[in-house]
Amino acid sequence: MSLHFPCPNCGADVVFRSPALPNRVCDYCRSMLVRSDSAVAKIGEVAALPFDVSPIQIGMRGRIDDKGFEVIGRVRWAWTDGAWNEWLLLFEDGGNAWLGEAMGQFMLLWQQPIGKVRSRTMREMINGKQAIPGTEVQIDNRKLVITDARDVVCIAAEGELPFTVSTGWTLYSVDLRGRGGECATLQRDDQETTFYQGHYVTLAELAPRGLRAIEGWALPAYAA
Amino acid sequence: MQPEAAIQPEPAPAAKALTCPSCGGSVALRAAGYTVHVACQYCSSILDVTDPQVKLVTTYSLHMAELEIPLGTRGVLRGVEWEAIGYLQRSENGMWAWEEYLLFNPYHGYRWLVKVRGGWSLGETLTVTPDWLSYDQLGVGPETYTHFFADGEAQVDYVLGEFYWRVAVGEKVATADWVRPGAMLSREQNAHEISWTRNALLSPAEMQKAFGIQPQAKIWPPLPHQPSPWGEWLKTGAMLGALAFAFLLVFAIFFGGTSWTAAGNFPVAADGREQSVTLGPIVLPHRYQSVHLRADVPQLENGWLDLDYSLVERTTQQVYEAYGAAERYSGSDSDGPWSEGSRKAEVSIASVPVGTYDLVVEYKANRWSGVSGYADAVSWMDPANAPVVQVEVRRGAVYASNLLIALFLIAAPLLLALIWHIAFETARKSESDFATSDEDDDE
Repeated sequence: MSLHFPCPNCGADVVFRSPALPNRVCDYCRSMLVRSDSAVAKIGEVAALPFDVSPIQIGMRGRIDDKGFEVIGRVRWAWTDGAWNEWLLLFEDGGNAWLGEAMGQFMLLWQQPIGKVRSRTMREMINGKQAIPGTEVQIDNRKLVITDARDVVCIAAEGELPFTVSTGWTLYSVDLRGRGGECATLQRDDQETTFYQGHYVTLAELAPRGLRAIEGWALPAYAA
Repeated sequence: MQPEAAIQPEPAPAAKALTCPSCGGSVALRAAGYTVHVACQYCSSILDVTDPQVKLVTTYSLHMAELEIPLGTRGVLRGVEWEAIGYLQRSENGMWAWEEYLLFNPYHGYRWLVKVRGGWSLGETLTVTPDWLSYDQLGVGPETYTHFFADGEAQVDYVLGEFYWRVAVGEKVATADWVRPGAMLSREQNAHEISWTRNALLSPAEMQKAFGIQPQAKIWPPLPHQPSPWGEWLKTGAMLGALAFAFLLVFAIFFGGTSWTAAGNFPVAADGREQSVTLGPIVLPHRYQSVHLRADVPQLENGWLDLDYSLVERTTQQVYEAYGAAERYSGSDSDGPWSEGSRKAEVSIASVPVGTYDLVVEYKANRWSGVSGYADAVSWMDPANAPVVQVEVRRGAVYASNLLIALFLIAAPLLLALIWHIAFETARKSESDFATSDEDDDE
């Protein structure tokens, strides 16, 4: 079901693997492309990713909750005090999730319909209110605490994506965390609000295949 | 068809080189993409590396500290290779300084190597939040931690290397710590966030193997999360000791002697004169044994009975003597009825040699006239009561004092270990903000 097109900018072959993911960055010329029924259009350009030593890379495969996935995209976000990666996972059943990678820890997050969020504090945040770190919020009968809230900027992206990105795109992002490793993120710009929910995972729990090789470091035993 | 994903055939480089804008020194960036601030290893100036254009945050021209673990050193701890990439000196407002190394492995993330008073711990930031179990206890998974330090304030005094946040000398966080044997749970809090770290105590041998750190002399007082070296020993020792003693006891009961057997019944004269009976024969089979004699005077009331026992060997006429007395008083006063004493009297004769013995019992009954001189209407010795003395005999191979000696021998090392354990725990807890006089602990 993968669709191949020539990049309208550089002519390189670009692939779209899921109808739910009509956006991608050309691997060669970094054009931001959007696929319609039969054509691909360039709508902008995305900055090159800065060098990092992330163990994840596009093409890495893994398995969680007995479902296989492949890493097919990434957005790199920055805030005043650092930057992190959000990797897009495409599951065998066509679903997708984000693997957030910050400070050496991993969060697996699924987008949830915004209407599902009933907590009053959360609704207020969806409607434009500032979040206060330390506030407790009830989500799915679990207590989560707002751990931080800040403006984040997209600095780079690669691969296939569920939305178009542009370097400099700014969002208001609120992170929440629960007692048992649950986590959630609310992201808001002047257009819309999205809500993601999930939990912390370790790299080992993802049973990764095709981890990025990093010079001088041995791959972990579970991935070797 | 082209490969759908461009998997890099070449391994990615592990480090990126920067030039310090302050001193021009070459700085290796070992956790590129994660690192926010780098303190130049030559001049200690702090650089911001979040942008491709390295920015100078604070200029220092400090002399580089001699580190026990130079940055860039790798070591394997608990099965994972780590590289020391950052170093902090911290203190409680200038006092009780300690050191922290930031360890990194691209596949395993970050850990902390914390050195406090010569002891090392491996810290991992938690992704779960501890549960309050009680006012001073926290639970993380199956582990329980007890509050140890409260309301601390940790400041950064010196930095070197790279960090995943904006590090600054003078930066302060509020701290609190909870402990269990072998691990400490630390909370650090600033205006923006709370983080929890679990610090596992590393043995000097682990540190020597991983980073070549020479073991230090004994740390005293002990570290808050240092397990008492006597704790485990005591548990095992107490269990073994109890088993050994139980075995001895069972052995003594089942193989050591006989049960009580009746030796004879004899009447008590009403006039209280000295009487004598000869019971026996009593055959003692072992080379030496103890002989236990028990007299029961069921009618005894407000009086006493003196008993002189003589075990007389039939052939050698060797005599072994013992004295016993049963006394029993009762009455009633303003507090109600009372009684004291016992109608039974038991005595033992140790180490009686093998032989056939007669037991000669000389006995004399007495009657108590009462505190007020008022005598009971009917004496216990009255013939109407038909007072008798019942004597029973039992022989034992193991004398109770032998068991006591065994118990002492078993208990002495345990007692010594317990004293050391308590001394250790007292010294350990004396450092706590929650030090109490209660020395019993988490056994």
